[in-house]
Amino acid sequence: MSVRVHDLAGGYTAEVITGVAFDLEPGTICAVLGPNGGGKTTLFRALLGELPLRRGTVSLPARPAYVPQTDRTRLDFPVSALDVVLMGAYGRTPAWRRVARADRDAARATLERVGLGDRARRRFGALSGGQRQRVLIARALLQDSPVILLDEPLSGVDAASATRIEALFGELRDEGRVLLVATHDVEQARRWDRVVCLHGRQIAFGPPDETLTTDVLTRTYGGELVVLPGGERAIAVEHHRH
Amino acid sequence: MPAPFDTPFMQRALVEALLLAGLAGVLGSWIVLRRFAFFTHGVGTAAFPGLVVAGPAGVAPQLTALGAALVYAGGVEWLARTRRVASDAATGLMLVAALAIGVVLASDVFASGAGVDRLLFGSLIGLRDRDLWLTAAALGGALALELTLRRAWLARGFDPTTARALGVRVALADRALLLAVAVAAVVALDAVGALLVTAVLVIPAATVRLVAPSVPSLQLGTAALAAVESVTGLWLAYELNIGPGPAIAVLGGGVFAAVVAVTR
Repeated sequence: MSVRVHDLAGGYTAEVITGVAFDLEPGTICAVLGPNGGGKTTLFRALLGELPLRRGTVSLPARPAYVPQTDRTRLDFPVSALDVVLMGAYGRTPAWRRVARADRDAARATLERVGLGDRARRRFGALSGGQRQRVLIARALLQDSPVILLDEPLSGVDAASATRIEALFGELRDEGRVLLVATHDVEQARRWDRVVCLHGRQIAFGPPDETLTTDVLTRTYGGELVVLPGGERAIAVEHHRH
Repeated sequence: MPAPFDTPFMQRALVEALLLAGLAGVLGSWIVLRRFAFFTHGVGTAAFPGLVVAGPAGVAPQLTALGAALVYAGGVEWLARTRRVASDAATGLMLVAALAIGVVLASDVFASGAGVDRLLFGSLIGLRDRDLWLTAAALGGALALELTLRRAWLARGFDPTTARALGVRVALADRALLLAVAVAAVVALDAVGALLVTAVLVIPAATVRLVAPSVPSLQLGTAALAAVESVTGLWLAYELNIGPGPAIAVLGGGVFAAVVAVTR
């Protein structure tokens, strides 16, 4: 069951993103590359059904699981890492029932899988940034969807967490899942199977080694792109708004 | 039972205080976690004009107060949705308007015999059986919502942007919580008055929030603290011949300040 997006345009009062089209087979990691405000999160909202489609079609094998950026969560909230992972079972738990024992066991196993089995009772806000990111990934895994959307999962995480997260991506690909990973890091995008370049509209789509040309990166990032000496490598410079 | 609670009116006040403590435990915790404290204060104040017109109109004060509170909540929601006024500004604007309308109605239109002081600050010792039944019903409703929507409130509060992607019915959960808070504020009016609703529904939860490690401990701790503060405030009010609402509010503020100082 593949992920198919055809001529997608979406937005509430105007088209925020337009001309998005790609086809991802099971067992694919696809980078969603673009600058801040380029439409990465907006594309995810469209795939989640939270953004009105003004044109085009989206075909998904199931409701995707979504991993937000950790700064979207409330660090002061009195919840443990296990509490957060269990939220992944809320969608299939009737309102009047407790979360099933099988889901509780699965939540603990998922925490083990991301290397945080010994942090289950730790308050979410007391974990490091990388550990919090892994907890949110564990929550998405408990949703057990064949499609996972990850919004900047490697931004600001420590090296150990980044290594573990990227290894986990490989395992999930081997399980036949489709991962769409939003990033502004060109070098990360080069390591995965496909890349979608966005800047309000789709600039390019395809295998990274064929797609990430200087021309495509220039059109994706505009003035935020720095081409390194030799012309073979380019990095995107993020201008954060304050 | 100490002497002050020998009389029927004080026994009714005691039961009301304990029922309100239960409401504080269930809903006060969510009010604090979801940052609805100003909304709760606004709902209590907005009910004031409804209370003023209840007597002359010959209807139950809870009914008119709830009507006024719902008009207020709808007005705030509409103003915020138009995006022409910020949410907190809309809350403040509607709050002042409700208070001003209530004062004008009380002093110039109905010359309300109830007394503005009592409407604004309540009277735990003037309660009737009907007030207790209404508070008990509100507590029952809040517990039913807690059982069915707790997970939705938790997911929405922890991660507002992702709750829907988890399969949570966000809009339904939010509206149910706001409605429950409005009802809780209205049934608390007779006891603590329009201006001191937060003394029961917010201050104990805000205090326990400083030390509680989980939502269940926050709820149980809030219910216990609200019960102790309310009963102690009631006893102080009886002994010192002061209003129970202000006594509970001062006590709650003092305990909050002490916990802040200890946990710094």
